[in-house]
Amino acid sequence: MSYFDKRPPVKRYEHGSRVPGWDEAVDLTKPPATVPDPALTPVPAELREKIEAAMALYPDSKSASIPALHLAQQHHGWCSPEAIEQVACVMQLTPAYLTSVASFYDMFALTPKPKHDVYVCTNISCSLLGADEFYEQMCASAHGHEDIGVRGFECLGACDIGPMASVNGEYVGPLNLFDAQLIVEDLEAGRPVLEHKQLRNRAVADPQGRVADWTGIDPVGQEG
Amino acid sequence: MTPTHLLFDRIDEPGLNTLQGYEKRGGYSALRKAFAIPQAAIVEEISASGLRGRGGAGFKMGQKASFLPKGEMAKYLVCNADESEPGTFKDRELMQKCPHMLIEGMIITTFATGINHAFIYIRGEYELQADILEAAIAEAEAAGFIGENILGSGHSLKLVLHRGAGAYICGEETGLLDSLEGKRGNPRLKPPFPAIEGLYAGPTLVNNVETLATVPTIINMGGAEYAKIGTEGSTGTKLVSVSGDVQRPGNYEIVLGTSSREIIFDLCGGPKPGRTVKMWFPGGSSSPVLLEEDLDVAYDFDTLAKAGSMLGSGAIIVVDDTHSALEVAQKLTKFYAHESCGKCVPCREGTNWTHKMLARIESGEATPMDLDILASVQTQIIGNCLCVLGDAMAMPVGSIVAKFRDELEAEIEAASERANTVPVAPVQDAIPVGAH
Amino acid sequence: MPRPEQTIVKLTIDGREVEAIAGTMLVDAAKQVDVEIPYFCYEPKLGEPVGACRMCLVEIEGIPKLQTSCSTPVREGMVVNTTVDRVLEAQNSVIEFLLVNHPLDCPVCDKGGECPLQDYTFGWGRGKSRVIEPKRHFVKPLALSPLIAIDRERCILCYRCVRFSQEVAEDWQLIFTERGAHTFVGTHDGHPYVAPFSGNIVELCPVGALTSQPYRFRARPWDIEGAGGICTLCPSQCNVEFTVRDDKVVRVLSRENSAVDDGWLCDKGRFAYQAIHVDERITEPLVRGESGELESASWEAALGAARAIAGHRGRGAALVGGQATNEEAYLLGRIVREGLQSHDIDSRLSGTVELGLTRALAAPALQATVADLEFAHTVLVLGTEPVDDSPILDLRIRKGVRRNGVKLAIASARPSTLDPNATLSLRYAPGSEAEFLAGLDAALSGTAASDEFGALATLLKDGGEDVVILWGESLPAQALPTLLSIAGKLGLTDRDGAGLLEVPNGTNARGIREAGALPNAGPGYSEVQAGRNAAEIAAALTAGDVTVLYLFQVDPLRDLPARASWDAALGKAAVVVAHASVLTEGLARHADVVFPAESSAEKEGTIVHPDGRLQRLRAAIKHPGEVRASWQVLVDIAKATGVETGILTAGMAFQQLTKAVPFYAGLTLEAIGGRGLRWPETDAAAEMPAGAAPAPAKVQATEPAPEGKLLLGTYRSIWASTEVEISPALAFTIAEQLVELAPQDAIALGIEHGAAVQVAQNGTRLAGRAAIRTGVPAGTAFLAAGIAENSANALTESIVEVVKA
Ligand SMILES: Cc1cc2nc3c(=O)[nH]c(=O)nc-3n(C[C@H](O)[C@H](O)[C@H](O)COP(=O)(O)O)c2cc1C
Ligand code: SF4
Ligand code: FES
Repeated sequence: MSYFDKRPPVKRYEHGSRVPGWDEAVDLTKPPATVPDPALTPVPAELREKIEAAMALYPDSKSASIPALHLAQQHHGWCSPEAIEQVACVMQLTPAYLTSVASFYDMFALTPKPKHDVYVCTNISCSLLGADEFYEQMCASAHGHEDIGVRGFECLGACDIGPMASVNGEYVGPLNLFDAQLIVEDLEAGRPVLEHKQLRNRAVADPQGRVADWTGIDPVGQEG
Repeated sequence: MTPTHLLFDRIDEPGLNTLQGYEKRGGYSALRKAFAIPQAAIVEEISASGLRGRGGAGFKMGQKASFLPKGEMAKYLVCNADESEPGTFKDRELMQKCPHMLIEGMIITTFATGINHAFIYIRGEYELQADILEAAIAEAEAAGFIGENILGSGHSLKLVLHRGAGAYICGEETGLLDSLEGKRGNPRLKPPFPAIEGLYAGPTLVNNVETLATVPTIINMGGAEYAKIGTEGSTGTKLVSVSGDVQRPGNYEIVLGTSSREIIFDLCGGPKPGRTVKMWFPGGSSSPVLLEEDLDVAYDFDTLAKAGSMLGSGAIIVVDDTHSALEVAQKLTKFYAHESCGKCVPCREGTNWTHKMLARIESGEATPMDLDILASVQTQIIGNCLCVLGDAMAMPVGSIVAKFRDELEAEIEAASERANTVPVAPVQDAIPVGAH
Repeated sequence: MPRPEQTIVKLTIDGREVEAIAGTMLVDAAKQVDVEIPYFCYEPKLGEPVGACRMCLVEIEGIPKLQTSCSTPVREGMVVNTTVDRVLEAQNSVIEFLLVNHPLDCPVCDKGGECPLQDYTFGWGRGKSRVIEPKRHFVKPLALSPLIAIDRERCILCYRCVRFSQEVAEDWQLIFTERGAHTFVGTHDGHPYVAPFSGNIVELCPVGALTSQPYRFRARPWDIEGAGGICTLCPSQCNVEFTVRDDKVVRVLSRENSAVDDGWLCDKGRFAYQAIHVDERITEPLVRGESGELESASWEAALGAARAIAGHRGRGAALVGGQATNEEAYLLGRIVREGLQSHDIDSRLSGTVELGLTRALAAPALQATVADLEFAHTVLVLGTEPVDDSPILDLRIRKGVRRNGVKLAIASARPSTLDPNATLSLRYAPGSEAEFLAGLDAALSGTAASDEFGALATLLKDGGEDVVILWGESLPAQALPTLLSIAGKLGLTDRDGAGLLEVPNGTNARGIREAGALPNAGPGYSEVQAGRNAAEIAAALTAGDVTVLYLFQVDPLRDLPARASWDAALGKAAVVVAHASVLTEGLARHADVVFPAESSAEKEGTIVHPDGRLQRLRAAIKHPGEVRASWQVLVDIAKATGVETGILTAGMAFQQLTKAVPFYAGLTLEAIGGRGLRWPETDAAAEMPAGAAPAPAKVQATEPAPEGKLLLGTYRSIWASTEVEISPALAFTIAEQLVELAPQDAIALGIEHGAAVQVAQNGTRLAGRAAIRTGVPAGTAFLAAGIAENSANALTESIVEVVKA
């Protein structure tokens, strides 16, 4: 018996794809998705204006695809096929071009998503400090709240307040297990989230960076 | 006495993020000074300062700037504000609290290199910082620091803030360029290097936020003076982001060459009482891990390289003895497998295979021989990928397998024992569903 | 952009000295000295290398890291090693990584036996797998389009297919979605990948991920043979390889010829081979029997019936369809002129051009080549839609614009799919081509009637000397003197890399004309007594002046305008003899004898590419059923009309042709070979009679359509062909009448996109569906011609009324 044959057997995957889309065939009754004809693809005027403004910022208007997808996602709540077709119409690209771009980036949702985004960082620094437990707690607390979407996220660039989360773009931390419930309550009440833990108000850790009249939150571990 | 704080000095000062606050502190004086000297001399000052890139690769900024072809043509400056390397959060603090320092550095750099188009590519998650930068750019524009014929110098600049949408690979400079061109952020083949053929196929200078924000200081104090700070090969100060198992995590500005122990213990308080440093990443999650015995190495580019690791982005992640090596390795591979762009084979398949092998260790389906395959797979990745994301996983994971082999073997044994008594869950794929 | 100059570089690969053209990539340089470097993602046809698969890593002395040989150009003095341990280790590794998830289903994979991954695994793999992790499993195969199946388990993400869609066809429908190991090939929101060139991705795929629905599991690589041929479904004349199993064509692949097709095929060329082996095909002679129906007959009976034409001397006429070979056209000319003692033969069915003008337009010095489209400074596409009329040229034009910065100008009545690539796109009203060209001609002389003309003239004059004008045969004859004048003003004569290139309406139109199938020219554009052209033949049939009509692979009811008058004319004919492969309506109603026509896969003969390249058809399969070689049938008919041709083989027919056409002198079938040969580049080209262009005539301005009516324009879609109609795989493309309308007209008429409409004119009514298209000039409607039902061919006037059905 050789070296490799001595290894124990592996329990098989259960059948099936874990990536949405992998197992899907095309719908042969649909027409090919070519560049949308402006006469046939209505685009909300406000969205069109914003996308056109973004396109004007770049030497090559294609550069505006990510900003335009952000705008479309804001407008439609997610990057729905309709949203993508509208962007494609304004930018005169194929919808596939934009689908390809959108699916590459974590912040674009190609399936309907809840209104509120809670990105819990589960990367190394945060997880050393208990991010995985917080993530589980956050999922549990948000359970039943249809409009709150909790996602584990890779490093969000705020390990100094780890474990941390980005709630609708607002960075908060360090989080303990009780904060999960508070986040849900703040979101449901339409309040600013965990105001006392918002990164925007936190002082720099470096003592020489500090000023005497600082009114915000002290750095982690340097309270009082 | 040489200064120790060039970027972070009283950075918390309220209002510093506004033009008024910045100018009150002498902001934009370096720009005026730069306009008074020949362009080539500015590049020389930067070269003389010895400033090495703060984004990860540590390439000398002056040298990179001098690669740009001279003469009239569409050239671009791109500020890399993607800051996605796990453990790194220094650019965030700078952009949020003193955005004009970066903007001033960019204006000087574009003037020195004859560039009229500049972009800041900021990661999409940094919404607050992006809003602040956008406001600052508008202020600078209104004040005539950006636009046509700036301060009568004849230099013109268009500066655009571009928000990304969540992809670590967009920190890699060529992936960033593709993303900025509105494509998927796949890295490009090099050569050609961006300085020759970059954004929109034009010569492009890509620099990190911290690198560019240091430029006004260099102009103000002079390159030679700046070079006196730090060590010979690693001049100046460096922002370090310290996180993980330390008591006072956060951003600190240090003089390059400071002892690592001083940073981790004196500045950051070290691990919680009663715990010890098991391993630490000196330059972000992509750097090979060092051990407690390495704590006295000087924190600079060359010494860390000699110690078998790298300074990288200046992000120190400390892991204390309550964590297992397997846990750390798994976190790393999950991240890199999730972030591999998928373009090249060794990175795409290697990161995932590594992740699956580690999962087998955890589920008790591995033997110590698997550690050999694990190690060999890391060497198969290193050097064979299109960009260095693959290496960025293989180097630290390889170092963990090498340095914690005994622990991993023990874990394999223990896990198999467990597996014989408790049924294991099916192996999961590297990336959980839901991360779409 | 003019072609780049070439310099030679010397280097060493595995100890062997190599001389290679500067810019050559190392993989290709290695091939020159028989060093094989494996690769997956490299494919120069697709553009710049991507360096994604990492299979081609080599060691270059002096560079610490291994380098991808697909993206590293040769440099003087380079020393390259491809067999050192670290390279072998890297190759082992990449194969191992690829197989982490690639299923080992080779025994049931359609690609097995002709699969690069299989071959490389054998040649460069470790031979032993260390992977015990389970692979991914997915539902397979799935439909990607009606033509293509996708097996995502097998995909190795080599980028070839998506790059084709994005960087060659530029249709941007096929994409990578998701990221990392989750990446998969797909489309937007489950839309199928349907585009004119989609089939190329099957040929590009280096594994069994993309397979052809019609070919899947029809054969294994060891059951088949390949036979070189030419696709005769359009004037592009792409070079193909027929995959033959049991004397049946089961697949068509590209046989790359950069002078013709660049290694691509359109889906018509790739999939319409099915028309060779379907029940609809006529495979035995038919003769109209007592009952008045066409009935199967023996060759003796059919030839006997056809001999009846011999009794109509002086009253016979022939129409030659575009798929005829040069030899067939030549023999038909002999039958009409010598046998039937008539002069009424035509192949330029859109209208006759004066002989002097024909010669001038075909002058060797004025001809541009296909490759010129890629390297010109400026290309003007005039009155043709390449993707429909000569699809492969569409890809070539895109390539020139994308890779070499060629400036593209488009002048057409209907919006073009190339408009987004064009520097300038001008529209004229349908029917006003002559007026448009007169305007351009004047602008080139300095008197531009509008800014548009001024801009176009400036682009053509100042954009660089190498200008290629790609013009469609449908330009009216009266516009052609002006076209020549324009060519003269731009100095296109005698300039390599510049000139005119005609897109004729028929595949071999150029060869057929050169063989003498024109009413006013004999073989070699020689002077002959003038006869009737197609329209005049119709009139003469109606008047009883012509009583016999020979239809060679053409059905006037299907292919020509004024359908009703042709119907009447054919009804009057005493004898109608046809060669056809499908019984189209006109033949079913009016033919007395129908000989089964050969497909291009069965034929021997030559054809001429629009740029003057003679190409050779060779028999890849035996004739099915009772089909006989058409040249042989024509020789028999000629004999019946009293012409002893003395021809016993296809080769002899070609020899006779080269004697009859002075500028073919010295050509041999061997010299034409598999790649073709451009006669304008031979010495004999000097024998081409000189042309003389008449002065451009004064033109009348086109009137806009009256209130409530629309100007009629027509288009012929790539899919409008009988071969497509009977190929089961292409059934999904068969189009109904799509009436293209400008958005504002549609609003004014209260017609919605996709709504059923009626197009009316002089009591003729066509049913169609509205297709609103931005870019269609207001006041114009474009209708499909050449389709089986509701074709625009039924219309005779230039004004139509479009109403909601
Ligand atoms: C996978 C990967 C991720 C990277 N991420 C970042 C980043 O987030 N920010 C950054 O400035 N540089 C990043 N870099 C380094 C850049 O490629 C590049 O070297 C740097 O932006 C150059 O700027 P500098 O010379 O000023 O350091 C990354 C490199 C790699 C390979
Ligand atoms: S489907 Fe084939 S051609 Fe396309 S990426 Fe996958 S392996 Fe390559
Ligand atoms: S990360 Fe994608 S290839 Fe290197």
